[in-house]
Amino acid sequence: MALLERNEWYDIARNTNWTPTHVTEAELFPDVMTGAKGVPVEKWEVYDEPYKTSYPEYVRIQREKDAGAYSVKAALERSRMFEDADPGWVSILKAHYGAIALGEYAAMSAEARMARFGRAPGMRNMATFGMLDENRHAQLQLYFPHEHCSKDRQFDWAHKAYHSNEWGAIAARHTFDDLFMARSATDIAVMLTFAFETGFTNMQFLGLAADAAEAGDFTFASLISSIQTDESRHAQIGGPALQVMIANGRKEEAQKLVDVGIARAWRLFSLLTGTSMDYATPLEHRKQSFKEFMLEWIVGQFERTLIDLGLDLPWYWNQMIAEFDYQHHAYQMGIWFWRPTLWWNPAAGMTPDCRDWLEEKYPGWNDSFGKVWDVIIDNLLAGRHELTLPETLPMICNMSQLPICAVPGNGWNVKDYPLDYQGRTYHFNSEIDRWVFQQDPARYRDHMSLVDRFLAGQIQPPNLMGALQYMNLAPGEIGDDAHKYAWAEAYRNNPYQKKAA
Amino acid sequence: MNQPEILKPLKTWSHLATRRRKPSEYEIVSTNLHYTTDRPDAPFELDPNFGMAQWFKQNRNASPLKHADWNAFRDPDEIVYRTYNMLQDGQETYVLGLFDQFSARGHDAMLERTWAGSLARLYTPGRYLFHALQMGSAYLCQIAPASTMSNCAAYQGADSLRWLTHTAYRTAELAKTFGDIGFGQDERRYWETDPAWQGFRELIEKALVAWDWAESFTALNLITRPAVEEAVLRGLGQAARHNGDTLLGLLTDAQLADTQRHRRWAGALVKLALEQEGNREVLAGWVSKWEPLADAAIDAYCAALPDAPAVCAQAREATRAFRASIGL
Repeated sequence: MALLERNEWYDIARNTNWTPTHVTEAELFPDVMTGAKGVPVEKWEVYDEPYKTSYPEYVRIQREKDAGAYSVKAALERSRMFEDADPGWVSILKAHYGAIALGEYAAMSAEARMARFGRAPGMRNMATFGMLDENRHAQLQLYFPHEHCSKDRQFDWAHKAYHSNEWGAIAARHTFDDLFMARSATDIAVMLTFAFETGFTNMQFLGLAADAAEAGDFTFASLISSIQTDESRHAQIGGPALQVMIANGRKEEAQKLVDVGIARAWRLFSLLTGTSMDYATPLEHRKQSFKEFMLEWIVGQFERTLIDLGLDLPWYWNQMIAEFDYQHHAYQMGIWFWRPTLWWNPAAGMTPDCRDWLEEKYPGWNDSFGKVWDVIIDNLLAGRHELTLPETLPMICNMSQLPICAVPGNGWNVKDYPLDYQGRTYHFNSEIDRWVFQQDPARYRDHMSLVDRFLAGQIQPPNLMGALQYMNLAPGEIGDDAHKYAWAEAYRNNPYQKKAA
Repeated sequence: MNQPEILKPLKTWSHLATRRRKPSEYEIVSTNLHYTTDRPDAPFELDPNFGMAQWFKQNRNASPLKHADWNAFRDPDEIVYRTYNMLQDGQETYVLGLFDQFSARGHDAMLERTWAGSLARLYTPGRYLFHALQMGSAYLCQIAPASTMSNCAAYQGADSLRWLTHTAYRTAELAKTFGDIGFGQDERRYWETDPAWQGFRELIEKALVAWDWAESFTALNLITRPAVEEAVLRGLGQAARHNGDTLLGLLTDAQLADTQRHRRWAGALVKLALEQEGNREVLAGWVSKWEPLADAAIDAYCAALPDAPAVCAQAREATRAFRASIGL
């Protein structure tokens, strides 16, 4: 005799549902927390997680993974990566940590919700590991940036961002609260692990790890790859939950969760990843445009996953694909123009070579977005710096909490998509954002966007200074151009000429 | 207008920088991580009053147990994720070593059949109880008002899955030697109907729906867990040793090592709570509400344990001694 194989006892460890008699099933699994969509418990018990692991395997493998990630960090602690890296790369790090670290911690709460309120024991066990994974990701992504605090005040935002009213932090909270933090266990399985993690974060992390290695930041590359191995395991919680729902006549409900999840994830993703890939990443390190990346991973891969599960493509699929051409370019202009309201220094990504690249990847870019950048460049070169800085706030979408924006210049298509609901007018960036609101207005109704708060007098004094104070941003940490405007000099007496096609 | 000062880099997070000493790794990665406690009237960056927001406002923000700064809580063991895995990987190596060695010497074949019957009735159904504890810790993880508490609860939930895993393993292994007494088959029936388990089932079902975060903590960590530990781990372990089942005695001892850690942070949390006037009465009220259910559970379970007559009184006494030791 020796040790038993895992498969000899695994099913016993996930046979733990019982029939309560001192409280009702509905009390033990209240709908607000469980969200079982009316599928009875015995139907949930066929739930079969595709990626199986067990407690002893988990603690052993995770110990080894951490030994790897922390030893790479320790070995490279004295390297000059931070001093030598392109400032655009350092900005990506700051934006990433601030937007992600406490979001990962929130995901721990969401995994805990599945561990407590999931209707299938296999889901509860896998989510228990998922809860630990997200605990890990928060801790790693706080510990790693912490060493940079003493060099650069903006790294404080790895911890601080989510506790602030900085606009990007509001957008991140609104998105993540809606995707998972304030959702039932079943909704979390679909929206967090399937729509967000399987669809977006898995590939985001793969791409980011590759970019980090390319930029010479091996500490970050090893950190992100290590996190990704956890994600690819616990992201598989959602698939079987969708199968249970579809098999029990709840395809419509499942589809709606997926559609809302992808819509919300896409918006934030285009802000963070879209601008990182096409602007902040130094040109020589770019492998693919954001659009190419989206077409390969979301349209090529994730689309197939949706179909294989028996789901349809979201109704807005073509609209979303059309946005690959412009939405993140519009956000980049917003990020750069409103740069004092950031906790990182955005890279303009606007050298003549960058513009050639953008034109090649996004034909027509110079006739639309490029025209706005021409004005900015003229102002910078003429010393009219103040004209390149904001004095007011933009119109903000009541769903994404991001500026309402699209294509400027030739091809102008900026448009508000308003909705009157119970006496209040809401403003949205697109038909998709408005549709999300209409699916469950009670979730969003009395939330106030940054502009709503401004108009309600909550931001005083009512100017940029007041807004910065409201966002908890002060000189010493507010954003400025990553390259100190050096890139603009290339255009002095030498206006940009589009390359002949 | 006053020009704001220009902020300079700090040695650590701004929220830790006012203190004079260097923060530990534990503090850097564990403190003040719940942003949902920042605005009491709106836990989420969504409508302030939809269903889930109400749940958090009622069950977390409006708890009768009050403290001005729950974020001051610290785990006395300062466990972080990576040390948790180091610790528990070592513990699991030990337990798997036990399983391997005892299997090699034919341990199960040497057990008396009557004791095997007791195991089928009093040991292997425990997986339901351990899983329920796992669920309870997962609730505290998501509802606690400080990240330092949520972390303790997360690791505790994993520890409960650990015990469940050991139990499932042994269930399958015992079924190989005793194929005809219901191992792997009858646990749910015992858990749902056998008188030995009904006290614990009532206690845990009710404790799992104590939604107020602090009452949940009290019912689970100060009442239910100590009762389970004293009866179903220590008491059963004692009965096991008296019946030639050395393996189970060593296994429950190994599991009890986790409970020492749990009790240290539970004690620290009570100590923090007792700083605030009025909290003693709140905690005492909950203890007197839940203690009788735990006593009944201990009595019913221990009465069924063979060859361990003193266990019942010892278990009741030990749960009270624990509470007394942390000031309750």
